[in-house]
Formats: sequence, structure tokens, C-alpha cells
Amino acid sequence: MKKVDTVKLISAEGMEFVIDKEAAMVSQTIRNMLTSPGGFAEAEHGEVTFPEISAVILEKICQYFYWSLQYSRGKETEFHIEPELTLELMMAANYLHT
Amino acid sequence: MGGACSRKRDQLENEDGLHRGVSGRYCKSGSSKWLATTFSRPVVEIQREKGKGPSLMELCTYKIREDINNYGSFSMLPRDLSQQIFNELVNSQCLTEVSLEAFRDCALQDLYLGDYPGVNNNWMDVISSQGSSLLSLDLSSSDVTDSGLIYLKDCDHLQALNLNYCDQISNRGLQHISGLSNLTSLSFRRNNVITAQGMSAFSGLVNLSKLDLEKCPGIHGGLVHIKGLTKLESLNIKWCNSITDVDMKSLSGLTNLKSLQISCSKVTDFGITYLKGLQKLSILNLEGCPITASCLDSLSVLASLSYLNLSRCNFSDDGCEKFSKLGNLKVLNLGFNDISDSSLIHLKGLTNLESLNLDSCRIGDDGLVHLSDLQRLKCLELSDTEVGSNGLRHLSGLVNLESLNLSFTGVTDGGLRKLSGLSSLKSLNLDARQITDAGLSALTSLTGLTHLDLFGARITDAGTNYLRNFKNLRSLEICGGGLTDTGVKNIKDLSSLSLLNLSQNCNLTDKALEMISGLTGLVSLNVSNSRITSAGLRHLKPLKNLRSLNMESCKVTANDIKKLQSSHLHHLVNFRPE
Repeated sequence: MKKVDTVKLISAEGMEFVIDKEAAMVSQTIRNMLTSPGGFAEAEHGEVTFPEISAVILEKICQYFYWSLQYSRGKETEFHIEPELTLELMMAANYLHT
Repeated sequence: MGGACSRKRDQLENEDGLHRGVSGRYCKSGSSKWLATTFSRPVVEIQREKGKGPSLMELCTYKIREDINNYGSFSMLPRDLSQQIFNELVNSQCLTEVSLEAFRDCALQDLYLGDYPGVNNNWMDVISSQGSSLLSLDLSSSDVTDSGLIYLKDCDHLQALNLNYCDQISNRGLQHISGLSNLTSLSFRRNNVITAQGMSAFSGLVNLSKLDLEKCPGIHGGLVHIKGLTKLESLNIKWCNSITDVDMKSLSGLTNLKSLQISCSKVTDFGITYLKGLQKLSILNLEGCPITASCLDSLSVLASLSYLNLSRCNFSDDGCEKFSKLGNLKVLNLGFNDISDSSLIHLKGLTNLESLNLDSCRIGDDGLVHLSDLQRLKCLELSDTEVGSNGLRHLSGLVNLESLNLSFTGVTDGGLRKLSGLSSLKSLNLDARQITDAGLSALTSLTGLTHLDLFGARITDAGTNYLRNFKNLRSLEICGGGLTDTGVKNIKDLSSLSLLNLSQNCNLTDKALEMISGLTGLVSLNVSNSRITSAGLRHLKPLKNLRSLNMESCKVTANDIKKLQSSHLHHLVNFRPE
């Protein structure tokens, strides 16, 4: 993947997830951070840190981003959510506006 | 994760329904019309951009709903998340007394449990645990009793309380809520046992802005207790048949009153004189009251009066010249009165009129000439009158007309051509047996149409070709019996449809359902009295927004539908057969 087309999402523990920008922008919050003029630092470096989101949850969220892109391209599958993750996932989704 | 986001609360829709351009539809002359249900709780319509899937929030909400029995408490969640889960459980009828426990101490603000099965006093403990966070509570049609209301003392910030159709609430219950002085909206529709004495509990509700006591037969004499509620803006005492002129005296000082509904009471012209001081009164509903045109003298001094409902008041033409004094009127309902074309001349000067209802009046083509200058008219009801194709030429200049009801009139296919220039038309009712495919062909220029009612019109498959232009159609009814599966081909791409009624087209088969399966915006579907079978139900799986389904007199059982509901259509709450 070309570097300019990717962003890096960093979890609370410091784990890094490099994903396509297009996928990350499924989140309205991330979209705003990366496209807002006048300078979120994130926009410059293409990196966003989420000190309140754990790696397990952040990974699941990245999976959701790609699933959502697939869905809108016509591949309508089920998105499985492990029951033990649901509440934390919902809170993170709420924050990320996704 | 951050604290509660300040997301805007979904306020309840104003149920007065006074500002609708399209009138409600009722059973007429034997045709088995199916009254579309109205929903009092916020409808979670799954609006998405075309092709985009569900949000992660939605997916999590549905997952929680599936696993609801595994959750002990949601109190650690931010309030708007637990609120969303609560709403979803209610919308899909999955909430039980047991799972309700998880919502204890969640600081929820809005609990809409109206018409929800099984709500009783046992629910009140968790409900009241929301404490001062609780702002609105709808317990209509529940089995909550007077002692259940004691719990609400903990909810001192409660603003809106709905106890409509609660048969177990009496004067004692009213006492228990008498201290909730932050209440702005209170509703007790159809309560047979509350009396004037019980209403003394309202005198402390100093912030009350809206009070609804529709269909309470025992409240005569009780309005004295609300004399001091000077913040009152809206009072509904429709169908309170014990209300008389002397009750109106108690209202004469409520100068902030904007909306007053006293339909079907015993108030006469004399009682109306007490209202002369209500200078902010904008909406007045006197339907079915024993009044005459004389009361228009009193009404003419009400400078703010813009909505007036005088339907079913047995008005004759006598005194109708007084209508010309009501120049500020925007909405006038004169339906079901014995007035004729000669009275319409007195409406000529009411150029602010936006909505006029002449349903079942003794008027015809000649009378319509007096309406031709009412340029601001948006909504015109002419159902069940002698109006015919000739009269329509007087309407062709009403360029702002958005809603027109010509059901059960003498209008024929030829006359409809005169409507083709009314490009603002959004809603058109042509429920009349003499309308055929040819009439529909004259209307293809009306591409702005959102509601089209052709219930009893004789539309066949050929006629449906003309529907293809109506790309904005949200509601369509064709029940004349002339449609087959072929006709549905022209309906299947009307992707904006949310209501589709094809009942009594007895030749429709499961193939029709296959074509309908793409109309994912559908909220209400009626295919009763057709050849549809339970084998066709699988085609309805994608219709995630479906809330109402009618398959009466088809080869479908209630169990078949229930299976579909629990597996795929979680928001399907009304269905027939049941």
C-alpha cells in the first residue's frame, strides 16, 4: 500500500494498525480529523492515537471499516461480533461516530 | 470513554395532528380501507444512503438485543447509549420485566412505553430509579395503577407524562403526581373515572403548558382547578361530553392559550363568548359542538385565530356571511355541514387560507368559482361533494396546491387533464370508481407526487405504466381489483415508497411479493385478499423497515408471519392475520 493512502491508528497500549485511508474515513470522527483544515496534528502525520480504545477493540473496528466498504460495494455479508466485546465496541463506535 | 454526548433528544411528535395537509383516512361506504397506524414513539427508521450498510452502533445495538438476557446492567454506559439500547428493545418488542432490570440507575431521560405489552406496577421501580434524569415518560395503555404512580415522586424533574388509556388510574393517582411541579405536558385521554374533584391535583402544576383530557366524561366542573395555570398553551378536552358553557368561564383568564379543542362537547354560542379575551388563541377546534354561525361574532375578535374547525356543527347557510370577518384564517374545516355554493361566496376574501375542507358539504361546480382567487391554498378537501369535471377548471389557477382530495366526487377521466398544470401537487386522492387508466395518463406531468390514492378507481395493469414517472411516490393505494403481477412490474422501482396498499387485487400471487422485495423503504404493506401464500413471505426478508403487514384473506397464517418477524423483521409490530 502506498504510504499516502494509509493512516495509522494507535491503540491505548501503543499497538499500531495501518489501514487504507478510505477504510478509516468510514468513521466520521477520523474523517473530520484527517480532512479538517487548520491543523489537527493527525492530518499532517497521518496518525491518530486512541488512548481510550484497547487493541482488541481497535482491531475489531478496523475489521468493521473494511466490512462496511465491502457492503457498500454490494458484498452483503454478516458482521460477527463476539458477545464479550459488544459493550466496549459500542462505546468506541459511539466515539468514532461510526 | 467520554461521558454522555449531548445528542439532541427525540421529542415526541405533536399528536394533535392539526397541521396535516392530508386528512386521515377512514372507512367510507363499505370499502375496507385500512387505517394506517400512527406511531407515538420515535420511529427508528433505518435511513441509509443507498447501498451503505448498517453502522457499527446499529450492529452493536442489535447484538445486545439478541443477547439481552446476558446483561445485568447498563449503568456503566453513557446515557445516550443505554437509551439507544432501550429504544431498540422497545421497538422490537423484546423488553421484558426481567431485562428491564439492566436499565436500573441508567439516568435515562425518555422512556416511551406507550402501548407496550405487559407494563404494570412491577416496572415502576426501575423506571423511577432514573430519578431526576427522567424527563419524559409514556405509560399509555399500561396496567399501572394509582399506587404505581407513587414511585414517580423520585422523578422530580419530569416534564412530560402520558397516562392515556390507563384504565387503572383514578383520582387517587392524580394526587400522587400533584407535586411534580416541573411537568409541562400531561395527558390522561379516555379516563372514565377521573372527576372534577380529582382535578384539584392539577392546581399545583404551575409549569403546565399542555394538558390533554380528551374523552374524559367526568370532568365537568373541574376546569376551575386549572384557572390559575397561566402558562397553559394547549388544552384538549375533545369528546368530553359533560363540558358545558359554564366550564368555558374558567378558561377566560388563560391568556397564553394558543390551542383549544372542545369538539363534541355541549358548548354553545354563549360559551364561546367567554373566549373573547384569548388573544393568543391560534387553534380552535369546535367540531360537533351545538353552535351556529352566530359564534363567529365572538371569534372575529380573536386576532391570532388561524386554524378553525367547524366540521359537523350542523351549520346551514344562515349567518355564513360572517365568515368574511375571519380574514386571518389559514386553515378552515367546514366538513359535514349543510352549507351550499351560496355560502362559498363569503370565503372569497379569505386570501390567507392555506387549507380548506368542504368534505360532504352540499356544494358543486358552481361554488368552486369562489375559490379560484385563494392563491395561497395548499390543501383542498372536496370529498363526497357534487363537484365534477366541470368545476376543476376553477382550480387550475391554484398553483400552490399541494394536496387535493376528489374522492367520491363526480370527477371523470376527462376532467383530470385540468389538474396537469398543478405542478406543486404532492398528494392526490382519486378514490372514485369512475376513474380509470385514462385518467391516470393525464397526470404524468405531476412528478412531484408523494401520495396517490386510487383505492376504488378502476386501474388495470396498463394504467400502472403511467406510475413510472412518479419517482418521488411515498404512498400508493390501488385496490380496485384490476391489478395482476404484471402491473406490479411498474411499481417495483418506485424506491421511495413507504406505504403500499394493493389489497383486493385478488389475482396477485407470490411473484408480486418477489418484485416488492426491492422496496426496502416500505414501512406498511397491504396485500390482503389476494392469492399470496406463505411461500411468498420469504421475499419480504429484506424489508427491514416494515412495521405493518396485512395479509388478511390470503393463504397465510399468523404463525407464518410471526416466524418471519422473529427471524428477519424485528420491527414488524402490526400484522394481520394476528
